[in-house]
Amino acid sequence: MRFVALCVVLLAAGASSFAQAPANGYVGPAACRTCHPNQWATFYKNPHFKSVASGKEPPERTGCESCHGPGQRHVEQHGGKSTIVAFSEATPERVLDTCLRCHSQTLSRANIRRSSHTQNGVVCTNCHLIHNPTAPRRLLAKMQATLCYDCHPDVRAQFSMPFKHRVDEGFMNCTDCHNPHGAFAPTWRMAAQPRMTAQAKGNEEPCLNCHADKRGPFVFEHAAVRVDGCGNCHVPHGSTNSRMLKRPVVFTLCLECHNGAGNFGRQANGVFPLAATHNLADPRYQNCTACHVRIHGSNADATFLR
Amino acid sequence: MTTRLYIFFMAIAVAAAQTPVAPTPQTAGERLGENVSNYNIVNNFETGYRFHEVGGNLAQYRSSINYGNGIRLLGSSLSINSRDGHGALFDQLVMATQGLGGDPYAAATLHLEKNRLYRYDLSWRQNDYFNPGLVTGGGSGQHLLDTVYRMQDHDFTLFPQSNLSFFLGMSASSQTGPSLSSIQLFDSKSPIVPLFSDVRRVWREYRVGNEFRVAGIRVNWMRGWEDFKDDTGATLLAATPPLTAFRSSDPYHGTSPYWRAALFTDRKVLNVNGRFTYTSGRRAFVVDESSAGKVAAGPENRQVTTFGNADRPVATGNLNVSITPGSQLTLVNSTSVYNIRTLGNSYFSQLDNVTGAVTFLNYNYLGIRTVANSTDLNYRISPMWDLFAGYQYTDRKIHSLEQTDFAGQTFATRSEQTNVLHAGDLGLRFKPWKPVTVRVSAELGRADRPFTPKADKDYHVLNGQFQYKTKKIQLMAAAKADYNVNSISLTSYSSQSRTYSVTGSWTPGAWLTLDGGFTRLHLYTIGGIRYFLNQQPAPAQDSVYLSNINTGYFGARFALKNRADLYLGYTRVQDVGDGRDTAQGPGFGSPLAIFQGVQTFPMAYQSPVARISVQIHKKLRWNAGYQYYGYRQDFSLGQSFRAHTGFTSLSLSF
Repeated sequence: MRFVALCVVLLAAGASSFAQAPANGYVGPAACRTCHPNQWATFYKNPHFKSVASGKEPPERTGCESCHGPGQRHVEQHGGKSTIVAFSEATPERVLDTCLRCHSQTLSRANIRRSSHTQNGVVCTNCHLIHNPTAPRRLLAKMQATLCYDCHPDVRAQFSMPFKHRVDEGFMNCTDCHNPHGAFAPTWRMAAQPRMTAQAKGNEEPCLNCHADKRGPFVFEHAAVRVDGCGNCHVPHGSTNSRMLKRPVVFTLCLECHNGAGNFGRQANGVFPLAATHNLADPRYQNCTACHVRIHGSNADATFLR
Repeated sequence: MTTRLYIFFMAIAVAAAQTPVAPTPQTAGERLGENVSNYNIVNNFETGYRFHEVGGNLAQYRSSINYGNGIRLLGSSLSINSRDGHGALFDQLVMATQGLGGDPYAAATLHLEKNRLYRYDLSWRQNDYFNPGLVTGGGSGQHLLDTVYRMQDHDFTLFPQSNLSFFLGMSASSQTGPSLSSIQLFDSKSPIVPLFSDVRRVWREYRVGNEFRVAGIRVNWMRGWEDFKDDTGATLLAATPPLTAFRSSDPYHGTSPYWRAALFTDRKVLNVNGRFTYTSGRRAFVVDESSAGKVAAGPENRQVTTFGNADRPVATGNLNVSITPGSQLTLVNSTSVYNIRTLGNSYFSQLDNVTGAVTFLNYNYLGIRTVANSTDLNYRISPMWDLFAGYQYTDRKIHSLEQTDFAGQTFATRSEQTNVLHAGDLGLRFKPWKPVTVRVSAELGRADRPFTPKADKDYHVLNGQFQYKTKKIQLMAAAKADYNVNSISLTSYSSQSRTYSVTGSWTPGAWLTLDGGFTRLHLYTIGGIRYFLNQQPAPAQDSVYLSNINTGYFGARFALKNRADLYLGYTRVQDVGDGRDTAQGPGFGSPLAIFQGVQTFPMAYQSPVARISVQIHKKLRWNAGYQYYGYRQDFSLGQSFRAHTGFTSLSLSF
């Protein structure tokens, strides 16, 4: 009996203290506008304005409070980061959870929770600036390549090379080949790294999105291209070597595999070695692709001569 | 306040990337735009004259830079937004262009959206793709390309924000222009003869799809059709002994229809998503080649005809299961399957007045089946510490059949092999203080039977990164080491790459931004080689390649209130090689001079830039800039160039 009485007293005390805490309800975007006029002034250009324009969304999915949470306590206490969801103070998980409440409904973001970015604590607000974006689209904090270079300085260095894909020139973007929100595991290669590589439509390498002439199918495939991919011979971002090859002179690149060393290739007896007619002292044989012109694959010749 | 914030963020954005000197990042006009009826309009157009002057190897300049002279619409942007989200035809229109009117890298994008009803995205790009070909021993190489790539993408979505949406899309690309190729006829001792080609390649894709939600699961499917046509032929550039005439026509056409289906959810505790594709590609081809020449035995006339088709059905699948039992732990298991079969036949017929007639039929098959499964764990130990770890198992099977039917006999080689990879990774993230993040990770892999001597076999990758980031200061230091050892019977292939980077930027206010960085890319590879020298084998030697590339950049942006902006920048890339002064030795590995001469390839590439932008009126700015490009190859004569490029332009808004 005494125990029940104690419980009743404790519950009453708890209810009383709960009642004393300021209730936190939704106040609507008009209230936010009073103290944050600058954010509101251009908010109609923001994609998030759709929720306000709709007029049909519930309060928890409308305007400011759809991301920052209910604002009543924030209003009553005249501001403060502790009375509202402040993204500058939020943990990466909190930021991700908040954004994904609406933004998970896209296939391109289906793997965001397992992406390398998320794994390393890089979440939405690291790249997107909701209220003062620099880029006109997608609320990016900076122009895309600049944004990526911030954390990938080695990639920036590669794009500074004389032979490179034209990213700095504005012809391409990092997202032409990568999905910063996390991609499905690349099926065309052995290792699952790198995880941020986007796929062409048929789950192929993204290179084939643009280099359609290299896709084939060819009767005579250059098996290494199909088995291990373009990265066998090329550096995809940029290189000091012509055609972004891994080596400056082509015959050294070819000979690294075409040496007949056992245990490799289709028959496990080595990758097709040089024929005896190839006298390497003769400059004619030093540029392999001068004769083997269809090096990515051929329909007419097993050794890619035509 | 908003304007000051905007300028502050723009300052960071502008100074952090050294793009070509034009277009100018600063824009004319009111940032907030002007209200017209129910819409707000912001626009900026930059038009001016670009110039260049090149000394040295023009072909290398065109390959690396390629900016020319002339009047350009250097850049433009237009955005129109409805002010209440209820526009009549659209609620948002965003258009941007770059380099129209003759720049080698031109692009245009358009985004059009009506809330809840539709969304349309257009992207158009053009690249003047010039390539002088590969370089051998200091001379110009073969396969010169002077072509233009054009690409466009159209994506239309109906009801983009609803639980039932529809997609329509089209993409196209083309590559056109002259090129030089080469051929060697009539035997392996003949000289290599240049051929002229008129490159004509067209690729198109049409797609339709739909996404809907059933029982909390989103289903997304797409059906697409890809067509590809290559009608590039070849003719003899000039009669070159032994060839006196040559003509080749080899149309290559086909289609690759595909299906893609995906299911995904986003639930807190149990999350499942999958993606499955099936593509059935087919190409048909004909090669019609005729050649005439004179060899030791007398005049030779040859006619080659080849025709057939090649098919490649590809089936792939991904399935990911994520479990998040609490706020601290996430477990993800991913399975992927890849099944690709390339098969085709090629009928070959050769008529030759010297060697007679030869006909045979080739049939080739290459099948690759890869199954991979990985498990990843993310654990938040405390707000300061995060741990992640993973293990991956991959099993690959390769089938192959190479068959030739010749003179009533069949010669066939069948093969089958498997390759298994075990890989694991482990990493830590440490955040002792809000602006500071430290990340370290390692990956270790073991493959039992890689396909090529330089593929990943026994490899490990180490990563480390330190980052300090506040609104005004950003500092980063990163290091990465990637070592791969692939032991083979000949010798052993080994590659070591190490990358070190330090970058920093400082923005004390809207008036000044400084940034700079340095990256060192070190690459050292040794590959086992075997080659022939005057018909004699030179067994079991090493081919060595050593590259030490230092890349540095510095940028400074000064702004005089909102009136003028000055940007100064400098980028330098230098491969210092292995320190030798001349191409020939003292080297390593193969004693053959041609190998020692290509073990290292010192070069330098630098580009200082200066740009000024002055506001003349609220809606008008004057811009001018200069950028120098200097490219120097130390061991390869005739490849270097220096280029002075620049522009002057007006940015206006109306």
